Amino acid sequence: MADKQFKKKISEALDNDVLRGALGRFGDAYTISRAKAYEGYDFKSISDNIAEVKSYAASHLEEMIDQFEQSATARGAKVFRASTGEDAKQYILDLAQRRDVKKIVKSKSMVSEEILLNKTLISAGISVQETDLGEWIVQLAGQHPSHMVLPAIHLTKEEVAHIFSGHLHKLNQPVIAELVKTAREELRKSFLEADMGISGANMAIAETGTLIMLTNEGNGRLTSTLPPVHVFLVGIEKLVPKFEDATHILQALPKSATGQQITSYVSMVTGPTPAYYSDGTVKDKEFHIILMDNGRRKMYHDEKFKKTFQCIRCASCLNVCPAFQLVGGHVYGHIYTGGIGTILTNFLNSEKDAQNPQNLCLQCGKCSEVCPGKLDIPQMILEIRNRMGEKEGLPFTQKFALDVVSNRRLFHSLLRVASIAQKPFTKGQPVIRHLPMFLSGLTEKKSLPAVAKVPFRDVFKTIKQDVKNPKGKIALYAGCLIDFVYPKIGEGVIVALNEKGYEVVFPEGQSCCGAPATYMGDRNNARKCAIMNIEALEAEKVDYVVSACPTCTHALKVSFKELLQDDPGLAARAEELSGKSKDFSKLLSDLGGLTPGGDGVPLKVTYHDSCHLKRSMGVYAEPRKILTDTSGVQLIEMKESDRCCGFAGSYSIKFPELSGPILERKLNNIEETGADAVVVDCPGCLMQISGGLDKRNPGIRVIHTAELLLEKRKKLKNKTK
Amino acid sequence: MRIDHLTELYERFKAKLEGVSGECYRVGTASEAGELICNVMLEKGIKNVALLKAPIFDKGNITYQIQSAGIKVYTDHFREVTPTADAGITKVNYAIAESGTLVQADADANVNQRLCSTLVPIHIALVSTSALITTLKETMAKLHQLPQIPGFVGFITGPSRTSDIERVLTIGVHGPKQLVVVFVDEQVEDVI
Ligand code: SF4
Repeated sequence: MADKQFKKKISEALDNDVLRGALGRFGDAYTISRAKAYEGYDFKSISDNIAEVKSYAASHLEEMIDQFEQSATARGAKVFRASTGEDAKQYILDLAQRRDVKKIVKSKSMVSEEILLNKTLISAGISVQETDLGEWIVQLAGQHPSHMVLPAIHLTKEEVAHIFSGHLHKLNQPVIAELVKTAREELRKSFLEADMGISGANMAIAETGTLIMLTNEGNGRLTSTLPPVHVFLVGIEKLVPKFEDATHILQALPKSATGQQITSYVSMVTGPTPAYYSDGTVKDKEFHIILMDNGRRKMYHDEKFKKTFQCIRCASCLNVCPAFQLVGGHVYGHIYTGGIGTILTNFLNSEKDAQNPQNLCLQCGKCSEVCPGKLDIPQMILEIRNRMGEKEGLPFTQKFALDVVSNRRLFHSLLRVASIAQKPFTKGQPVIRHLPMFLSGLTEKKSLPAVAKVPFRDVFKTIKQDVKNPKGKIALYAGCLIDFVYPKIGEGVIVALNEKGYEVVFPEGQSCCGAPATYMGDRNNARKCAIMNIEALEAEKVDYVVSACPTCTHALKVSFKELLQDDPGLAARAEELSGKSKDFSKLLSDLGGLTPGGDGVPLKVTYHDSCHLKRSMGVYAEPRKILTDTSGVQLIEMKESDRCCGFAGSYSIKFPELSGPILERKLNNIEETGADAVVVDCPGCLMQISGGLDKRNPGIRVIHTAELLLEKRKKLKNKTK
Repeated sequence: MRIDHLTELYERFKAKLEGVSGECYRVGTASEAGELICNVMLEKGIKNVALLKAPIFDKGNITYQIQSAGIKVYTDHFREVTPTADAGITKVNYAIAESGTLVQADADANVNQRLCSTLVPIHIALVSTSALITTLKETMAKLHQLPQIPGFVGFITGPSRTSDIERVLTIGVHGPKQLVVVFVDEQVEDVI
């Protein structure tokens, strides 16, 4: 759970209008420019190629390092392998002292930030100048970068002018072109005077010993041209097997990072090149390459995190992250920020340092969609969360709640008690707050649904299924929200599937799918839930298992298998269940869909994509088809329909201050459409969005696809009877 | 056919380069290139220029043309002159149509090539029209086929730029503020 100090940092970031404005504007513009840059290119095949060459390098890491060292040495470079940041710093310091270096220029190197190289050099009396404009600003301000590609995105031109005025002892006006000019003049002096250059690289080619740098400002070019001593400080993850493999990364990095076709400069350096020495002679420069580990091998040797090697540090995962967009980079606490940053921090700094920021992940999966390295960032963050849960244990209240959830009888009797207990409260509002986990208390911005008087498991017994010669049998998995809060959705599912000629059964022993435990890092209880449901659902005996909650469907299809892979018997059953499980709209469409029809009464709707349904299962066309096949329904698409609504399981409890603004953005997009109703396929989204609309615009209804079908086709059904 | 193809590549290059605020021209002969360069420099008010020698400049008598236009030409002591010169002129090896990119890939990684194209506020680059390559991928293959990868390979796409302050695009940080590319159809052997 996030601690107090971390919470304080979040609220400071949220109060910083400048930061939020800048990040928000950038996030919006980024999406557009990225899409434009990829026009005419096949993002998928580019990222497939990157994943292929980088995963090859990752699984032949020692070979790559040897090969790189050999080829670079053959070209005259000195290669040093640093296993820790300390080693790297010592090497550079020794070299600088040996060469009597007074002034160093640096062009963008995240690795040097990672190991706090400047501090070491400066305390040895050497002047160190960052030359990337953003990094320089941040250096003058005494801060560290808040973004991998845009280090100073958190500062305004006024702040930059103020920083410049303070350090350069002359007044700077907050005019961007002027500030850039000042930087050019100031840094030009440093470039010309420097006796050593230090830079990072975006790629290190094993085959040829080549280092490749991408920059826009030209600082990379100058750093590798002017000083007679040059040190490349490179993390081992930059290795790429063959020279031409670099093509894929050159294609993706500028497009993904800044929405450019290519950066203004790409510099490829192989071995020492000639440089001017202070006496005016031109000869080969002294050229060093440091390949640094500093915790990386451990990460790449860990099966679950090996894929981090495929990261090309484009930062698109930050740019699309709803949480990052609200709080910016500094909240993450270390040099690497955002989702990928949390993972890197966990390995390169310490697990403890990742403890707070890992909580910021909503698990919405937007980052994985845009990642050119094909990393499943949310999955890795979840793994970190689970390992932390296992090692440290969860706080008592959480643990207690999850223990309750994984005990079906206790959990269900508590829910039944809750439904009675809420009666004295008007409209049943506050009661859900006392329920365990993701059913529990939220913010002032939202109202909460009541626990249903009669849970779906009881309603089920009263539903008459009139299916002659059924084509088959489908088990309905309800999940907590449909079972105890929104039973109507379950009815809708049954009626639609009956119409397709299937009989629906409700296995009584089913209970919570374990998602709350999974997402809070309690694998033990998640496992218990998995076993309970596998045994209850007996997938072997039915044709399909249907769920109308994508989070549950994801558990049935994916999580159970993962949780039980160590037990062959249960794993086989989990596999069977996984194969038969489908989300409602997907199943309905796989069965051929319903014959178009409906009551014809005009209803303007808009559709919200649930993160799990769209990104984990790739289902988004199916529900829309269901809607447009329903007569009377007019579908108006909202902006950012697949952007997370901010519910994200327990997120809305952990971070109401973040969940709130994320929800608000969703509500704005909904209102903009002028629709009468928002259709969703996830009861969690339903609860979140209707909670928000209830307070803000009760005129707009929120309704699950299955429920909408039930309503709009009722008359049809009566007629055909 | 070949000419048509080159023209098509040239057009693509030009569109891409102009998209990133570069200027692009094409001339028939080396001598015409000299004329064009003089006009461009006079128009921009350039008083002196650092020129890195290459056969094409002799062929078109370009140095002489520039001097005759009243512009001072430096052809050595680049470390001293480039920080203050008004412009730099170099011949570059290839051009990538796909992205409007110039490629510097001298086998000897001549440091002056970089000084004359990076420290100056205006870089004027000459390139043979026949050195146009369609894609980045083909360019990488071509570089790979060289006897060895040159010590320094530089891709240049438009002038130097930054968006580091408030995400506002500003042209001209550490590198040139203007990039002028002149394609020359006439074939001139590069001897190194
Ligand atoms: S994880 Fe993917 S999206 Fe994020 S920086 Fe790395 S490559 Fe880019």
